[in-house]
Amino acid sequence: MSTVLQSLSTELADAVESAGRAVVAIHARRRIPASGVHWRPGVVVATHHTINRDDNITVTLPDGTTAPATLAGRDPGTDLAVLKLAAENLPAATLRPDTPPTVGELVIALGRPGPSVTASWGVVSRVDGPWRTWHGAEIDSLLRLDVAIYDGFSGGPLIDAAGRVLGINTSALARGVPVTIPVATVERVVTELLERGSIRRAYLGIGTQPVRVPASLARKVELKSDVALLIVSLESGGPADRDGLLLGDVLLELDGAAVSDPTDVLAQLGGDRVGRPIAARVIRGGQVKTLQVTPGERPTSRAA
Amino acid sequence: MTAPRVTAGFAQEIAAVVEQLRHITVQVRTRRAATGAGILWNPGEPEGSGLVITNAHVVQGNQATIELGDGSVARARVVARDPKRDLAALELELEPARAMAPTGVRDSPPLRAGELVIAIGHPGGFVGAATLGIVHADEGARDGRTARWVRADVRLAPGFSGGPLADAAGRLVGVNTMIQGSLALAVPAATVAAWVRRSRALVAS
Repeated sequence: MSTVLQSLSTELADAVESAGRAVVAIHARRRIPASGVHWRPGVVVATHHTINRDDNITVTLPDGTTAPATLAGRDPGTDLAVLKLAAENLPAATLRPDTPPTVGELVIALGRPGPSVTASWGVVSRVDGPWRTWHGAEIDSLLRLDVAIYDGFSGGPLIDAAGRVLGINTSALARGVPVTIPVATVERVVTELLERGSIRRAYLGIGTQPVRVPASLARKVELKSDVALLIVSLESGGPADRDGLLLGDVLLELDGAAVSDPTDVLAQLGGDRVGRPIAARVIRGGQVKTLQVTPGERPTSRAA
Repeated sequence: MTAPRVTAGFAQEIAAVVEQLRHITVQVRTRRAATGAGILWNPGEPEGSGLVITNAHVVQGNQATIELGDGSVARARVVARDPKRDLAALELELEPARAMAPTGVRDSPPLRAGELVIAIGHPGGFVGAATLGIVHADEGARDGRTARWVRADVRLAPGFSGGPLADAAGRLVGVNTMIQGSLALAVPAATVAAWVRRSRALVAS
């Protein structure tokens, strides 16, 4: 009699069943619905890219009933959205915030693209430190999966073998490759979206590209790095334009920190930088100049 | 470091279940189609024993050559076919008739999402390959009707068609039939059993 195999099978099904009680279907786009997680009492977390309308959103609960939901806010940066729901007797998800997943750990991705919960399994294939999405939002840790993705997968939870939630899955942050947004990031975004309805992020309104600074010039201006950022686009009337940065300026430092990659700029632009001047050291016409630039608040309608 | 006992036990048990399933898995060869898989159907009831069950799309004509798990080869003729359910039943012409291993079929309970499943097939002519996965969605009947498919998150390839999908105890839960993206669709074992009973009654009368 195979005991380990059957015990494992039963435990996996138990994990799916218990975690699935907090997984809902979200109807906010055409075709198939997407998934969401009942994260805190009355609060459902879903993915931004699967919510195509702000009103007239409904949620199918695990018992098959449908309830209306209101959008509390969305954050294109982390691809998260938060919905409010008046549903009693719906258990909230059990989270695992303290022990991070490890490479090789057995995990299950849940979804509810309709009345019943769906599951796919695999392992965590990569765990890394903080990273930035292409919209500039910081995610506390990188979690890549070796798990097949199905329709309606986005917005569902990644769970461990005990049914505890490790994060929210999305296929929209890495060119169709599944990525899990860890619990810590989800908690932070949910709290801020419930308070403000949006995530505050500073922005300068520039597009940059790394360029190598000629050695002679680098010596002359005492550069920390021989790569700097050429400003290749400038939003007309944006913060950088208003404060005197020009197309063709080569950005060396922001507040004394060398910038050699566009993400170095994003790293300086947290929500607390809005309205607080930042010193931008640039090369213009072979001369080094320092300008004071005051970041504005990134409009929410803009993706980047 | 101590030996990983659970993992070792797990590996041994998987191997045992796969071995058991290979006994009821056959190769189905026809002149026109590539090799598919089939299941020795011997569920321990008088009607419908001694048959090979496979997909209708695996046997195009009325004849096929069956190679059993032990390497012996026999001719077989199609005695029932249902293109809608994609099922076919073949009768073996074995001389002399031999005792066959019983086919353990799971009648109940319905499959739960997350349960382990094992598929056996012959992808690319590789005989008796096994893959492990989980049930994708609960099998529960909706509106009183049996679900059309068992859905499993298990990696199949052409060559698995007509072969068994089994649970962690090695009991047959479905006949692997289609691949939809990375999802495997299998005809539920209960559907097969009911169809065999009906078809046999037709053949006998």
